[in-house]
Amino acid sequence: MPFVNSSAGTFFDRSLAQMANLREGIERARTQIATGNRIERGSDDPAAAAQLRAVTRREALSSVEGDNAARLGQDLLSATDELEAVGTLLQRARELAVQAANTPTGPQGREAIGFELRQLAEELFSRSNASGLTGEPLFAGLSSGTAFTRDAAGNVTYTGTAASGAVPVAPGTAIERGLPGNEVFQFDLNGTPSSGFAVLDTLAAILTGGGPNPEAAALAAIAGIDAALDTANRSQTILGTRLAWVEQVQSQQADRDIALAERRSRVGDTDIAEAIARLQQSLTALEASQAAFARVSELNLFRALG
Amino acid sequence: MPTAIFSIGRSGLTASRASLELTAQNIANAGNANYSRRTLTQGELVLTGSIGINAADSLGGVRPGIIERSESSLVQRQARDASSALAAAETEFFALREAESAIETSGVFTGLVDFEAALTRLEGNPLEPALRLSAVESARTLAGNFGIANGALANTRSLVQGEASADVLSVNELAAELAAVNRDLVGAREGTAGRAALLDSRDRALRDLAQQFGILPTINANGTADVALAGSPPTALVTGGVAQSVSLSFAADGTLSFAVGGASFAPSGGAFAGRAAALEQLADLQTELDGLAATTISLANGAQASGVGSDGTPGQPLFGGSSAGDIAVVLASANGLATAPAGSPAGSRDTGNLASLLAALGGPTGPSAGVDALLLGLSSRVSALDTRRDGLGVVASSAESELLRQTGVDLDTEAANLVRLQQAFEANGRVIQVAVELFDTILGLG
Repeated sequence: MPFVNSSAGTFFDRSLAQMANLREGIERARTQIATGNRIERGSDDPAAAAQLRAVTRREALSSVEGDNAARLGQDLLSATDELEAVGTLLQRARELAVQAANTPTGPQGREAIGFELRQLAEELFSRSNASGLTGEPLFAGLSSGTAFTRDAAGNVTYTGTAASGAVPVAPGTAIERGLPGNEVFQFDLNGTPSSGFAVLDTLAAILTGGGPNPEAAALAAIAGIDAALDTANRSQTILGTRLAWVEQVQSQQADRDIALAERRSRVGDTDIAEAIARLQQSLTALEASQAAFARVSELNLFRALG
Repeated sequence: MPTAIFSIGRSGLTASRASLELTAQNIANAGNANYSRRTLTQGELVLTGSIGINAADSLGGVRPGIIERSESSLVQRQARDASSALAAAETEFFALREAESAIETSGVFTGLVDFEAALTRLEGNPLEPALRLSAVESARTLAGNFGIANGALANTRSLVQGEASADVLSVNELAAELAAVNRDLVGAREGTAGRAALLDSRDRALRDLAQQFGILPTINANGTADVALAGSPPTALVTGGVAQSVSLSFAADGTLSFAVGGASFAPSGGAFAGRAAALEQLADLQTELDGLAATTISLANGAQASGVGSDGTPGQPLFGGSSAGDIAVVLASANGLATAPAGSPAGSRDTGNLASLLAALGGPTGPSAGVDALLLGLSSRVSALDTRRDGLGVVASSAESELLRQTGVDLDTEAANLVRLQQAFEANGRVIQVAVELFDTILGLG
């Protein structure tokens, strides 16, 4: 036919399709506002969905690493507390040794000093076997058993491992769990291996057992106690440095969590203002097109003729 | 002669009434998408007679002609091809979107991340029973999520297969219907309403067939349509009054193959091509998912084998099974998690073995990265199909409206026709009235 024919069916089909489109857009904007998520399914924006997955994984791991760091911090804090007490204890032992080395202190005084030193040695032994908040030994390295054991003869030996293992606290960062006991309580004295326990036990035995020359023995023990103090102080410094490191990692972690949350929000969250504006726009368009549809569909010749 | 005026008026009345009926038919079918608008042709009737050398023309009025059905085979073909392409893209899109939902919501990725997180937490304190237990439980969740993904994928596959099995029945019915229409068309007389209705059914069958398969129809001079299915090789479905039947078969991996009248064939358009493509992609997805499950199993069990549990005994396998369908935790006790490297004593807090498992799980070739890549690939494909579907939808709807414009009913035109034909009817009635008056005048002369 030569003239332009606009079929009634075309008009209705097209109007319906356009209104369905608008309604779909409105539904989508409404869902985005209601859920707060811009991406309903991966295919809405594949690249952003992949980023979101990476962020989700990082967030999950970051929260666990944060817990690990907090726990590690507690363990390190417990270890430094113990070492501080060990320092005080050794300080007291040194004072006692100096007293014992003085001639005016009589044999009975030395015996009393010997008893006190024995108690101090006991305390040192129990502190070396101290455990952290989780019940694990602080100075046993990788071993979960006691760090030091005392045999029937009274000799103390280290039963832990020489390494203490590291805990991952941030991506690519693992911090040593603590210090193994052999580095904290054992040292070389004039080329021979010794330990705080050996020094204190030997001196206590001489002072209480009435050895031949207790003053000289006490004098000699001072060097050993000094070495023990040095070792303990050094260990405390190391632990303190690690503690500071953990705190630094924790604050970095907090920053990173914020950055991750920002990224998640940027990639996956609905821009509420924009979504509401879009919703309003679509609603207006839908209302207008419904009104227009009603008006236009009335415009047929039948109505005009009737 | 007044009798000629009578018969002229009467023929006019007949013609305009027939046209009015056709207009009413058009209006009644305005909402019928398969209806092609009809018009009635008219021809002048002149009677010529001659006696001797006196030739005389006598006017006879109008002769109603044939019912013409507006046809546009080119636009019909465009609309069919567009709807074939749209149906292919749409079925593939919907199937893959379901697969996407299946894998995304099954939580395989979340399960892997949670498993990693539980192992990382265990690294902080490897001997704590609660942490060990939670690591094993998160492994169990992960295995369960693999199972859910596997089941959801199988479900998607069986939905697509079920749809294909149902639709192939309607394809065979359409082919049989088209063959029947072809047989009837051979006998139908040109220009009758019956023939026009048959042609409407023919076009409807062709359009419905095009939804399911890409078709290559040949319209013969007598109006019958022979249909071949587009594909490799192009295969005849309907030839004259004979229709072949299409049959489907599903391979073990769920992929679809076709046979027409016993000869195998691969379609290149329509919903069935989309379904075949979707089922192939689903089979690939299944392979990938099984591969990821197998990687997870071998990484975890390999790490177990190279370490010792908290009691110092060599690690036993964590996972059993070999694919997403049968992965399951088989480790009897959480103490058996091999956190420490081989040779460590009982109660060792060494996490060397755990660290290497974590590195393997989270590494660039580990299952986390694999699932991420799988999801990214799948959602990109779905997104691309969505774009394609949108584009083809526009093409198809414009082809459809072009077709409606060519063949559909325009109510304004019909309303104008009604008025025009009504006036023509009245005018013809008036002609008869004039003839009566003329006759009366002649009779009154006496």
